[in-house]
Amino acid sequence: MFKYIIIRILGLVLIFLGSNYLYTLLLFERDLNEKSDKILELRESQKSADILYFAESSNVNFHENDSVKFTLSEFTNLFYPELNIVAVNNVAAHSGIFKKWLNDVDVQTKNLKALVVTMNLRSFDAAWRHSKLETPLQESFVLLQPYPNIINRFLLSLQAFDSKTEKEREIEMLKEWRKTELKFPFAFKYKTVTDWDWAMANGGQLNADGSWNTKKSELACHYIKAYAFNLDENNQRVKDFDEIANWAEKNKVKVYFNLLAENVEYADSLVGKELVFLMKQNRDFLVKRYTTSFTTVVDNLELVNGKDFTDQDWTTEHYGYRGRMVIARNLAHQLKRQFEINYKKAY
Amino acid sequence: MLFNSLHYFVFLPLVVVLYYLIQPKFRWILIFIASCYFYMAFVPKYILILFLIIIIDYVSALTIEQVHGRLKVFYLVASLTANVLLLAFFKYFAFLNDNLELVFSLFGKDYHRINLDIILPIGLSFHTFQSMAYTIEVYRGNQKAETHLGYFANYVLFFPQMVAGPIERYATLGKELKSIHTPLYQNFADGFKLILFGLFVKMTIADNLAPFVNQVYADPSEFSSPEVLASVFAFSFQIYADFFGYSTIALGSAKLLGITIMDNFKTPYLSKSVTEFWTRWHISLSTWFRDYLYISIGGNRVSIPRWAFNIMLVFMVSGLWHGASWTFVVWGALHGVMLLTERLSSKLFKFEIKQGWSFINLLLCLKTFIITSFIWIFFRAESFGKAKAMIKSILHWRGSFDMSKEIWTVLAIALVVIAFDVFYYNSRFELKLNQKRGFVRWAVYAVLIFSLLALSGAQKFAFIYFQF
Repeated sequence: MFKYIIIRILGLVLIFLGSNYLYTLLLFERDLNEKSDKILELRESQKSADILYFAESSNVNFHENDSVKFTLSEFTNLFYPELNIVAVNNVAAHSGIFKKWLNDVDVQTKNLKALVVTMNLRSFDAAWRHSKLETPLQESFVLLQPYPNIINRFLLSLQAFDSKTEKEREIEMLKEWRKTELKFPFAFKYKTVTDWDWAMANGGQLNADGSWNTKKSELACHYIKAYAFNLDENNQRVKDFDEIANWAEKNKVKVYFNLLAENVEYADSLVGKELVFLMKQNRDFLVKRYTTSFTTVVDNLELVNGKDFTDQDWTTEHYGYRGRMVIARNLAHQLKRQFEINYKKAY
Repeated sequence: MLFNSLHYFVFLPLVVVLYYLIQPKFRWILIFIASCYFYMAFVPKYILILFLIIIIDYVSALTIEQVHGRLKVFYLVASLTANVLLLAFFKYFAFLNDNLELVFSLFGKDYHRINLDIILPIGLSFHTFQSMAYTIEVYRGNQKAETHLGYFANYVLFFPQMVAGPIERYATLGKELKSIHTPLYQNFADGFKLILFGLFVKMTIADNLAPFVNQVYADPSEFSSPEVLASVFAFSFQIYADFFGYSTIALGSAKLLGITIMDNFKTPYLSKSVTEFWTRWHISLSTWFRDYLYISIGGNRVSIPRWAFNIMLVFMVSGLWHGASWTFVVWGALHGVMLLTERLSSKLFKFEIKQGWSFINLLLCLKTFIITSFIWIFFRAESFGKAKAMIKSILHWRGSFDMSKEIWTVLAIALVVIAFDVFYYNSRFELKLNQKRGFVRWAVYAVLIFSLLALSGAQKFAFIYFQF
């Protein structure tokens, strides 16, 4: 019986090996192109890149009336015409995704001199951390795990990764808003995001005649939900940025965290100084934590005027060309420390 | 816990190993804990509903056995009412609200809707029906009431079949759960074959059809008539593969524990009539309705109009059992109408379907498949509006008959399903396969393993029948 079972197990192993060979030969490339196109793009683009630029939608969004449709990375590249700044963009990407992309960065390549990683303040908030967009982002890594290709393909079918449903993610987000206490060094009447949001939603923004301004109240609520949090080392995004910082140190590659501009002007006028306080406090936390010999935070938080944001009725980091130019110039100035000889004033 | 999850692939072998390691007299404890854990992977607190059903029917059956006359009827009615009320509360509360709202609006009155925001506990219809079958059998004197609460609990909770059947009877499953099983090679071999085949059917067939079907049913106006038609047939194969896949994995999982559960399907799309279809599709539910509703209201030992009423009632209730919506009732009613038409026309024209395979019988199979496929529209569509849009899209032919990638996929999958159905017609996959020579068996394993690992749907879909 023992021999009988061993022969069958060997037969199954042979089938498995044959299946893996056939799959790799015939179908793997197609699946990779479909599910992990950004990784393939990264692998390809780094061959010619002097500076890699990891970004989300902020890099590729324009205002419809923009006469200049350069991306943030392209504007930055204008200051360094001899260098090649290559962007890899993925909508809703964040430090957790960028961290995984690093596994595919070949540090031995002679070209790569620096890495710019987008640091989006909103990406630290509960709404983004529990966003429904997280599932497709996580899915893109399944085929690249260190297992036989056919096993990775099967794990993809089983959705064996962080593949929570939209509802499950929403529950976690609401729970965090309800339970996490906001900390201020001064007295403030709202203890949590839920409290603050509720108060704003129920008459926070009034018209001149005393009537309730629904549209402004809704926008103010978005600002509260997006920026009302206290950053600390327990935030998952911070942990991910820590890993990126460690990678920089280990591989001796200079990493620039490009902290994007937020609409501080509207946050102030719609919600008030308390929210701006939190935004600035969180910015200071990030600058302090990631100003090291291998990492630099490029602080753009307050650089863009309110009207230069593309979305006027939502919280995004999408800028009109003026906004993109300002941020790119600031980034280019920071890069100057490392690439002084390549720098040319572009505008 | 889903059968097609990594979680289950760890859970099942662990339970099987522990099952054979511990003494037979303690195995019921393991099955009980494993089943609770399995169910609690969905919504943990809903296990309390199952406990309530178990307690109600356990106590009712013991009481029914001890009392006589009217009191016996009283306890039976009380037990059935409690089960039905539980089911009604969780499954039909929103439906009742919708209908009351509609009725009130017809009379120009306002109805203050009560929103309880209830999530339907997975498989509730299956548990209640299985548990009710036991109480009725005890009442009828066909079954001795179980005194061991643990065994009875396992009858309701047994994890391989707890969330989507088959709806077992205590006489069979109870006996199986109490038997002492020793680890046998043949049970393991058959269990693995069934699980492999079930996963292949669910993940490679059903899950590859699901995205196309979902897209078309979401907005039929976006698709050409050939595509809508293809999606109608695709859903027929999807729901079959989905439910049959689940039942086969259930069968295989139980087999690993040495426990045999009933077959829920017998190649239904090779039925020559709708009447035959219902002896081959979801057999445990059809027989439940036959034994506990149809026969109870007189069956066919009544006048023809009354018999027709009985058939319609059973099918409409069966429709409602599936889902709290009038579309399901219409789905059931259409099957009832087809069954009556077949029975009456065969009497009228003295037409009898001959056994065996012939060209006529092939045409009859095709006819049955087309009819059931069209009736499935009401089962799948979220509303009458969507069902109407689907039918309209087919009747008002739009677009040329270009063979798009989706239509080719449906066609290819249809051929695979039919080939397998023909292969084990009137038998079962592993039984038929065991009769074949070694190289044929291994060739089949190779094809199944490769297809499962490399060609499964890239998206995972929960089993359709879990929602019932």
